[in-house]
Amino acid sequence: MPSRRPPLLRACALLLLSLTATFFAGCGNDPNLQPEHEKRADGSPWQVRYSYMPDDPRSLDPQFAYDQMSRRLLEPVVDTLLEYHPFKTDPYEVMPSLLASMPERVKNPDGTETYVCQLKRGILFHNDPCFPNGKGRELTVQDVEYGWKRMVDPKVECPALSSLQDYLVGFGEAYETAKKADALDYSKPLKCFEIVDDQTFKVHLLKPYPQIIYWMAMHFMSPVAHEAVEYYDGKEHPDANGKMVLRPAFKWHPVGTGAFQLVEYEPASRARLVRNPNYHTVVFPSDGYPPDRADFLKQFAGMPVPLVDEIQVTIFREQTPIPVLFNQGYLDSMGVSKDAFNRVVTTAQELTPEYKKRGVALEKDLDVSTFFISLNMEDPVIGTNKKLRQALSCSYDGQSYVDIFWNGVSPVAQQLMPPGIFGYDKNYQNPYGYDLEKAKRLLAEAGYPGGIDSKTGRRLELNMEASANGSEERQMTEFVQKGFEALGIKVNVVENTFAELLRKEDAGKFQILEGTGWGADYPDPENFYMLLNSRNFPPEGKNVSRYKNPEFDKLFDKMATMDNSPERLQIVNHLRDMIGEDCPQIFTFHKAFFTTINPWAQRTSTNMLLEGAFKYQQVDPVMRAKLQREWNRTPKWPPFVLVLLIAGAAGYAIRLNRKRNV
Amino acid sequence: MFSYLIRRLLYAIPILFGVMLITFLLFFVVQPPYARARAILGEKARPAQVQQWLHDHGYDKPTYLNTKPGQHLFDSLFVNQMKRLITFDFGVSDKTSLPIAKTFTDGVIPSLCLTLPAFVIGFIMAVTLSLYQVFIRYSALDRFGVFLCVALMSIPPMIYMFVGQRVLAMQLNYFPAYGFDLRGWQTAKFVLLPVTLMIVMYLGNDVRLYRTIFLEEITQDYVRTALAKGVPQSRVLFVHVLKNGMISLITLVVAHLPFLIMGSLLLENFFGIPGLGNALIHAIQTGDAAMTNALVYLGALFYLAGLMLTDICYAFADPRIRLS
Amino acid sequence: MIESLQHFFANWITQDVMVVAFFAAAIALLVRGSRNERWQRAWKFMKGDRLGLVAGVLIIGYLIIGGLDLLKISPTTSVFDWLANAVVGLQDEPTKASYSAPFATHTFSTAKPEPLQFPGRHFLGTTQIGKDTFIQALKGSSTALLLGGLTSLIYLPLGILLGISAGYYRGWVDDAIQYIYSTIMAIPDILFLIAFIMVFGKGVGTMSWALALTSWISLCRLLRGETMRLTERQFISAARALGQSHWNIITRHLLPNVMHLVLINFVLGFSGVVLTEAILSYLGVGTPIGTASWGQMIDGARGELSREPVVWWNVSAATVALFGLVLSLNLFADSLRRAFDPKRS
Repeated sequence: MPSRRPPLLRACALLLLSLTATFFAGCGNDPNLQPEHEKRADGSPWQVRYSYMPDDPRSLDPQFAYDQMSRRLLEPVVDTLLEYHPFKTDPYEVMPSLLASMPERVKNPDGTETYVCQLKRGILFHNDPCFPNGKGRELTVQDVEYGWKRMVDPKVECPALSSLQDYLVGFGEAYETAKKADALDYSKPLKCFEIVDDQTFKVHLLKPYPQIIYWMAMHFMSPVAHEAVEYYDGKEHPDANGKMVLRPAFKWHPVGTGAFQLVEYEPASRARLVRNPNYHTVVFPSDGYPPDRADFLKQFAGMPVPLVDEIQVTIFREQTPIPVLFNQGYLDSMGVSKDAFNRVVTTAQELTPEYKKRGVALEKDLDVSTFFISLNMEDPVIGTNKKLRQALSCSYDGQSYVDIFWNGVSPVAQQLMPPGIFGYDKNYQNPYGYDLEKAKRLLAEAGYPGGIDSKTGRRLELNMEASANGSEERQMTEFVQKGFEALGIKVNVVENTFAELLRKEDAGKFQILEGTGWGADYPDPENFYMLLNSRNFPPEGKNVSRYKNPEFDKLFDKMATMDNSPERLQIVNHLRDMIGEDCPQIFTFHKAFFTTINPWAQRTSTNMLLEGAFKYQQVDPVMRAKLQREWNRTPKWPPFVLVLLIAGAAGYAIRLNRKRNV
Repeated sequence: MFSYLIRRLLYAIPILFGVMLITFLLFFVVQPPYARARAILGEKARPAQVQQWLHDHGYDKPTYLNTKPGQHLFDSLFVNQMKRLITFDFGVSDKTSLPIAKTFTDGVIPSLCLTLPAFVIGFIMAVTLSLYQVFIRYSALDRFGVFLCVALMSIPPMIYMFVGQRVLAMQLNYFPAYGFDLRGWQTAKFVLLPVTLMIVMYLGNDVRLYRTIFLEEITQDYVRTALAKGVPQSRVLFVHVLKNGMISLITLVVAHLPFLIMGSLLLENFFGIPGLGNALIHAIQTGDAAMTNALVYLGALFYLAGLMLTDICYAFADPRIRLS
Repeated sequence: MIESLQHFFANWITQDVMVVAFFAAAIALLVRGSRNERWQRAWKFMKGDRLGLVAGVLIIGYLIIGGLDLLKISPTTSVFDWLANAVVGLQDEPTKASYSAPFATHTFSTAKPEPLQFPGRHFLGTTQIGKDTFIQALKGSSTALLLGGLTSLIYLPLGILLGISAGYYRGWVDDAIQYIYSTIMAIPDILFLIAFIMVFGKGVGTMSWALALTSWISLCRLLRGETMRLTERQFISAARALGQSHWNIITRHLLPNVMHLVLINFVLGFSGVVLTEAILSYLGVGTPIGTASWGQMIDGARGELSREPVVWWNVSAATVALFGLVLSLNLFADSLRRAFDPKRS
């Protein structure tokens, strides 16, 4: 009796059927949001770029944010006084952004220096509720001063302060005074910042510091509207109708003069940037194009930026989907991870035919960074034994490491400075680079022939600290361990959470610390060699190895304030050789990576020091829509098979049911 | 009944206190706030910056009792933490400085979008399949079914996610591989795959459990009576046994209901659903103690609510049971 | 003091002695248990349960492999390594090699295939740093055994002691114990585990403690109920009337009568530990670097599966090995339950 069939079974069948029906409905696999608008005001299509980042930003406060993820969202929103040229990388070059021209450098007779800076006229802040009527007001010199004052505000705790207080007049004192009073008096002027008129200000330096122009290209020195800081206090306020509304804190709602406004930020999910209609600070540069793409870039010369209207940034805490979404055309470009590498790149480091056919472009980028293994100079075993450190350095097989984990793309580091920085010599070889025989010899000379302590007869055991982050890092650590152990010594790996690792770093309680590195704040040798300055012991600085060498310090101090000159080059080389001989660090690699770019989104910036060069990016939405359709065809048969299978099983079950009932 | 509920509520207080104590010990005593602050602020942070951060969050106070002269005795880390949790004034997250209450309310809906359909569909499927197994009990097919259930339970949950994403999202392009959107029908396309996977993950366990419950039910007298009266076996099973077995099932299931709010740690993390499970796991991994403690505390509250619900269900389902 | 203790336990000879002692103790316990009439009846029943027997044999196989890998003959090599290398001839590739497919002669790379040192010998391929997948998958059982063993060593005594005391003494003892486990139960297991391991640092020791602290509860509740039921029975009241001490009653009368529940719970707990290890490794708080674990191999699949062509052998080998053990343990537990309680099923 079919009508007596249990209702539950029927409901279940219905549900399954409706589930299968959704397969057919083709709900689509596009994970991106609907854009903010369909069309621009003038009727042309609204253009969107789909980008991503691997983690959440820590803060979007221009005077506080320092990490890569924060910068990626902050730089499009907040303009800097100067900015890096998007194409000139060898050497790097800064050009005016909010300033009308490059600052004028004045050498005073008493050895101090003054920089005279002039702001562009008619620059407007974002339209934002914090301003009267929600209309962005004009930028003034006072906003720059306000931003600089925030740098010495103990409540803000600007990370740039420790570097700048040695050079800017009265900077450190202002911070100390505010710290004692428990609040910064914003009405008091800064000694280093002199307002000349509405558009002009002077910056006073204690001693020569040519690197100051690089600092002006960072957002620490960006202007801030005091209205925004006061308005966005993270508390509830009544709105026009008297309803209590939560305002975000300033660090999650940056208000600037930049090319984009941050309209949405969902932690762990996504961020969206939409074009700032008031923007006209800079235009697309018309010089410095790399020769191979000059023809393509010419068409944008002098055009107003941003070129696109909206940027959607997906936050991927899980890396697996990135290549998937790139291949489906839902991401415009992708950093080629190790796992996707073989599919994308051939032996000759070119694109594979499959990707060439798709029209994908391949770019190789070198990050301005160096990675190294830190050896503790205060450790009784490692720190006092130079030969042992040299032996360890010789036993590290940099080329294999790079081949296995970076697909041979990243260059093996021979010294602390990466390419592109003054004083980098590409012919220089690390005197203690990989050479296992030499390493064994050095180990014997160090007092451990064959890895056995000749005094006690016991095998040398070393502890290596590593961070505990996913399978990839685990395998890298195992590789390093295997390399050291080839010397006959035993290396115990200790896995640490980030917090533990920092604690050990601060206290100097480690022997070998794996996976340390430095990404340039600005392209100058001073920014790298300060890592080994004895004033920079953790936690104040990042001299993780706790290297202490008075001669090194003296030369470093001299080099730090010099302009680039043959004399400076000589000192830089000398510093390099000292480090090479002492081996407080084992240099591993300079991070480089391939990026693949889908055909509709050709690259328009090549400078790795620019984190969020979104304003120069362009896109061809018509081509994208067409290719997305082509790349996401779904086979229709699997749902049929599924339905048939379920129907078969149900039929069989019902037949069995009948038999039992008889 | 009323006095019972009161007693139950009073009993919940020491348990909540215990939960708070455990999380406090883990995140404030075993791992001092300084270490967490360093990790949260990043490796380029200076000590002064860390101190300021600790001060802003009130983490530089004494741990248990404030014995400093001129200070209030109870102005300590422990007491303040307790106060915050008890008054549901959770403050802001250590990592993002966003209000925790907002993170919670924002996370509940995405979590429910995933767990609620998975729970309802999974429950119906498990009941149907287990009833059918009872119907054909001790046959070869039934034994095979039990084996299959055990096999499903023995596969680590990640494997379902890996294979599901690889085949359905990557190879066949049916679903988005990642992401979430709460706007209208968009949500459906994002949760379809995770929901399917969640059902499959728990199906084995549930079917096997429900089967034993129904098997126990059919040894009851009323089943024998009904069969003797000549009611067809399928009707006895799918109507009588189902109705009576449901009572034990529902009481079993009700305890899990509050946990649906907390979402699914693994699936949310893997498919990028910004739910509470995702928030929790990220909070723990980044050392965000304020967030972890608040969410664990809320989780414990829901758990206790679930226990009470179970008891109430018992009382309603079976009038013989009197709660006192 | 602590350091010398650590040194003592890190010593491989100590480890060998402990492994042997542990196995000996487990066998002794089983032999002693088999004198019990109830256990003999169960054994008779189990002999007819083919599925359970097959599962049992499989478990013994895993135990042997794991045990052989825990027995070291030098600080870095185990008996199992020696067997695999010297006797069977399976070896890891030296440092330079990376992934290679099963039976391949070159590394698995369309870009730069390198010849392998042991071509055609890796019949389940190699891992990212050139280790033989087959050996790694087998060695995974030693990690499982170590974790399961250590966890059980902690949680079984805890669960038995607290469970029986709660059921036997009742009153405030029962209240206190109930309070402790209700509190821990109010925190979801997986959260407690991650938080515990994050805070105390990764390591097999920490993991065992964390797992033990969450798994004693089910045993404790089970034994509490069973003890309450048993104390109502006549032989206990008789023993009481005869003036036997509490300790005597617990060890002579109660413990032997609940041991089968402990055994079933132990087997199930073991399977739980293996599965949980995999989840914890996936969440980044698993076993430390250098231990061959299924969880870590499965975790590696995140990247490996999005490779093109797919690197499938590592995750498959680990999943099959893990699945085999967990399935056997679950089936064996089912079979034990049937054997000890034939009426109910």
